[in-house]
Amino acid sequence: MIKIEGISKQFKEGIGSKKVRALEDLTLEIHKGEVFGFLGPNGAGKSTAIKILINLISPDTGHASIMGKDVMDKDTRRYVGYLPENPYFYDYLTAEELLWFGGKASGVSLKVIRERTEELLNKVNLHAARKRQLRTYSKGMVQRAGIALALIHDPDVVILDEPMGGLDPIGRKMVGDIMMELKAQGKTIFFSSHILTDIERFCDRAGIIAGGKLRLVDRLDTLLSGGLTLEEVFLKEVEKAGGGIEV
Amino acid sequence: MTTPIWPIAVITFKEGIRNRAIYGISIFALLLLGANILISGMMMQELGKVAVDMALSTISFTGLLLVLFVGINLMAKDLDKRTIYMVLSRPISRPQYIIGKFLGVILLILTTISILSIFAIISIFMVKLSYPGYFPRFSWPLVLLAISFITIALILLSALTFLFASFSSTSFITLVLTVVSYIIGQSITDVKALVEAPQTVGIKVSSVTVKVVQAAYYIFPNLSIFDIKLQAAHGLPISWSYVFWAVSYGVVYTCLTIILAGIIFRRREFP
Repeated sequence: MIKIEGISKQFKEGIGSKKVRALEDLTLEIHKGEVFGFLGPNGAGKSTAIKILINLISPDTGHASIMGKDVMDKDTRRYVGYLPENPYFYDYLTAEELLWFGGKASGVSLKVIRERTEELLNKVNLHAARKRQLRTYSKGMVQRAGIALALIHDPDVVILDEPMGGLDPIGRKMVGDIMMELKAQGKTIFFSSHILTDIERFCDRAGIIAGGKLRLVDRLDTLLSGGLTLEEVFLKEVEKAGGGIEV
Repeated sequence: MTTPIWPIAVITFKEGIRNRAIYGISIFALLLLGANILISGMMMQELGKVAVDMALSTISFTGLLLVLFVGINLMAKDLDKRTIYMVLSRPISRPQYIIGKFLGVILLILTTISILSIFAIISIFMVKLSYPGYFPRFSWPLVLLAISFITIALILLSALTFLFASFSSTSFITLVLTVVSYIIGQSITDVKALVEAPQTVGIKVSSVTVKVVQAAYYIFPNLSIFDIKLQAAHGLPISWSYVFWAVSYGVVYTCLTIILAGIIFRRREFP
């Protein structure tokens, strides 16, 4: 479903500054209907990998595809729902207009957009605020609007970058329920997090990334079979990586 | 399959027209147009010319404020605040994004200029009604042509903001580059004429300066050709061939600028 093959990416942080390797030879495959958790500390390369899948940045080397289609092909994103980390949307649009845009730009009919908008805004508890401009929303409300936007076109693949960020416990439960529902519908979910309990609760498989390198990837039960907790496994791998790699 | 260009244009227009800066700019314009009626009443000479010139200048200046403070933000804020993620995560190509955004800005300019024009026309009409003797060569078609030319110049300037935003890292750089281009675009014809015939004013100009000015003349947009406020104020006729060439120049320059912005934007990354 999602295939990442040998992807590397370096960034230059400013004129004359050293290059920082954000990703190094990342190879990963996520199967249909799977919930995959991408676990790593801040700056580990999680968001970089996700942005490559959405074609917001292009890899220096390697190749990525979703449902057999190159991620560079814009039509691939017809089947992909994406929630960025700390999403920010247009201040003067309402949640309804935001979802209208998401649906229309993805080629969804107006009738379906109306039905899905009603359903999704109820699900993320924004129905009452649907006609309010987004600049009046709290951080958690914006995050929930972002989740509704990611799902408006009923995508087969859902990519969520820190979906629980900025949410209160009620919001976190809400997003958790949505993820379980998507899983039950057979959707493929790829989400990044540095919150271990989220990974433990929702994932079939998880990958630990640190310093731009994928350190470990396996089924969750296998990762925990050695008697270690996920926290211990995670800390061990991060320690091995020793932070970012400068070249 | 429907094109995603239209939804982008619609949200861009809505985001622009609801921006609070628009209200400030509009109130400022209405005050100027109101002042037009008052000031004209005090002049009592060349009154028709003053009324037309002031109304057209108000539209032109307000349009410039609109492009600089609302138009630039519509594209540059997408990059600054990363709202572009939500747009580009849809099945939208980079050139489609640029075209959609640009159409939204064009809609915004057309709407704002149309509303301002109604008030400008009312202000001229009221002065004309009060002092009909001062409008011997006045022509409404010329006023409308002048407004159309202002609109074309503003659309061209907006295209430039898209080009600058396609490669600059902040909206401030885009703003500075646009202002510089506007100033050069307004004065380049006069400067070129001056450096090519310096003896007429008794100055010496190096050949390098002449070459630089000539290069600037062909690179920067010649905005002065869209400035026919003077002709409209004095009721001087404009030939059809001038209109044709000016409009063609505006359309071609705008299209080329947007194509170039699309090409640059295609390669841009959003880390």
